[in-house]
Amino acid sequence: MTDTNNSPVGSSWNSDKFMAGLAKRKRSERRFRLIGLAAILTALTLLAILLFSIFSKGYTAFVQTYITLDITFAESVIDKDGTRDPDAIRNANYAKLVQDALRAKFPEVEGRRNLRTLFSLVSNNASDTLRDMVEQDPGLIGKTVEIPLLAGDDVDMVNKGYIDRDLAEENRRVKDQELRWLDILEEEGDLSLHFNTNFFTQGDSREPEKAGIAGAMVGSFYTLLITMAIAFPLGVMTAIYLEEFAPPSKFNDLIEVNINNLAAVPSIVFGLLGLAIFLNVAHLPRSAPIVGGLTLALMTLPTIIIAARAAIRAVPDSIRQAALGLGASKQQAAFHHVLPLSMPGILTGTIIGLAQALGETAPLLMIGMVAFIADIPGGINDPATVMPVQIFLWADSPERAFVEKTSGAIMVLLAFLITMNALAVLLRKKFERRW
Amino acid sequence: MQIQQIDEQQAARQGDAAEMIIKTRDVDVFYGDNQALKHVSLDIPKHQITSLIGPSGCGKSTYLRCINRMNDTVDGCRVEGEILLDGVNIYGPEVDEVLLRARVGMVFQKPNPFPKSIYDNIAYGPRIHGLAANKDELDEIVLTSLEKAGLIKEVQDRLHSSGTGLSGGQQQRLCIARALAVRPDIILMDEPCSALDPIATAKVEELIDELKENYTIIIVTHSMQQAARISQKTAFFHLGEIVEAGDTEKLFTSPSDERTQGYITGRFG
Ligand SMILES: Nc1ncnc2c1ncn2[C@@H]1O[C@H](COP(=O)(O)OP(=O)(O)OP(=O)(O)O)[C@@H](O)[C@H]1O
Ligand SMILES: [Mg+2]
Repeated sequence: MTDTNNSPVGSSWNSDKFMAGLAKRKRSERRFRLIGLAAILTALTLLAILLFSIFSKGYTAFVQTYITLDITFAESVIDKDGTRDPDAIRNANYAKLVQDALRAKFPEVEGRRNLRTLFSLVSNNASDTLRDMVEQDPGLIGKTVEIPLLAGDDVDMVNKGYIDRDLAEENRRVKDQELRWLDILEEEGDLSLHFNTNFFTQGDSREPEKAGIAGAMVGSFYTLLITMAIAFPLGVMTAIYLEEFAPPSKFNDLIEVNINNLAAVPSIVFGLLGLAIFLNVAHLPRSAPIVGGLTLALMTLPTIIIAARAAIRAVPDSIRQAALGLGASKQQAAFHHVLPLSMPGILTGTIIGLAQALGETAPLLMIGMVAFIADIPGGINDPATVMPVQIFLWADSPERAFVEKTSGAIMVLLAFLITMNALAVLLRKKFERRW
Repeated sequence: MQIQQIDEQQAARQGDAAEMIIKTRDVDVFYGDNQALKHVSLDIPKHQITSLIGPSGCGKSTYLRCINRMNDTVDGCRVEGEILLDGVNIYGPEVDEVLLRARVGMVFQKPNPFPKSIYDNIAYGPRIHGLAANKDELDEIVLTSLEKAGLIKEVQDRLHSSGTGLSGGQQQRLCIARALAVRPDIILMDEPCSALDPIATAKVEELIDELKENYTIIIVTHSMQQAARISQKTAFFHLGEIVEAGDTEKLFTSPSDERTQGYITGRFG
């Protein structure tokens, strides 16, 4: 092919055949680039669609509807005897205050059923709000104050436009009567949207308007803490041993193959393993981050080992030889030079492994982290759930209002994952080394 | 014993019958089943420069790595025979190979400074061996090592910048300084100039020549001129055997073996 002009065989540099070959090569190169571009565009479009659908459904989860009512802190309800006894104040019937305010607003409503519907406009969380206010400032008793109170989830859905008013009444969750009340409230400017702090400070709840992901976030935090505390040192030590110390042998080859296989094992299998070992044999508490963390550590370990080994292998041999040549022991060479130099790579792998663990659901279902838990866990032994499981639970709930909660929680989880991955990329960029 | 040593030193000064610091006796080296060195016997004179020459793959590096037991770190490598350092077999059971490597320094073909500051590069050896009692002593060691390696002028105001930021020749002299900092008796150099340009090479050669006052140097080189310029003794390796060894001058002017003749005149290798 590359014969020169004066060569008797083959085609010369400017022959037609050669030119045709050249054109063909260029065409194929252009084609390949186009295909690559198309692949990237497709991937980006799909990602954009995914993000758009989540965001458009989920952003409303971060605001919540409030109904402003004139609440009269009647002494006859809160503190009949006028003693200002804290116990009496705490145990008073604050729901009655809300009910009275609603009746005052809509005096025409009568009948038990209608009243019950009227009262359900406001979330039962409102009485807690009022109690807190009075406990903070007993001087409120006897006064009438305008207070925005958390609305029930149906009101919230109507206010956010998720309820189709054109639907026949019997197919609609919110009836005409309620819609009328809401229209009146709306006209008088009593409906308002506030930032949904509950979503970030509260645990799960059966009432969508009160449900938050704080419990799941704390659960995820404890779980990941355990995972990292176990998988990181274990993974790094294993990698160093295998790369720097283990003599090549059949046995070590076997270990290597097994580690690679473990990385490919479906995560639910690790869940079963966790169930069998940590719950049935070790009798650790069910649904607790300690068990979740241990199980996820099993799952993350191979990822970390593989990443760490790659990072360690990327350290050139000349560095080891330099250290050994100076009279450093193998261990000194490994810990003074190889490990620090491979640390950025190891950390990158670890963060990616932890991000995987953060998004993992299946193994946690096996060890009971799927229970409904309203309290924010206070430690690694408390029952807890984690963010992806919370998403799973909410996605399973029938209430319309949980749909946006689900999307909202996905957004929070994605934010965490993206932050972690960005951190990994940053680390890699910052400490990238050219040898 | 002492008297004998003094005699030997005097003899060394007079230029003949120098004290042999390393005596190699019938060394065979195997990489797996492949024999890289065959019955190699060679004596290395103290405070002189010995160069090892020979065609690629003849076992020069292998021999060099035997002397500081770097071959121990190569999987599947087996060394037989005796290498005596001051009369002690370095492959004997009582010898610690890590300490041996502190006594027998090594400079590699490609400059391999640690990706740390110039200061830390040199201070690393003294630190792990506890050669400096305090910071001042360590500073002293670093500066004298740089001085001996002829690098001090070029780097004295950037001791804390990275060693990998130096030029190739400077990096190689940094590596030599690093080796000197652990106060070795012997320095092994495996083609230390092969990655350097002629000017940097000249500097390193000059440095090596100065170092022989206090150190025994064994250098592998592919450059016949270099061997002739800097070394007092030369050994010619061929296919894992030593064909001829002796005074550099004699080996280059009137080699006794046909293969040596062929190699130094460029007919093979
Ligand atoms: N780590 C190793 N594993 C297996 N065989 C090796 C290894 N190192 C060297 N050898 C073999 O040992 C023989 C001698 O190699 P050595 O590196 O000592 O040659 P050399 O004289 O230094 O060559 P060069 O001048 O090219 O550096 C060669 O045949 C080589 O293939
Ligand atoms: Mg070599």
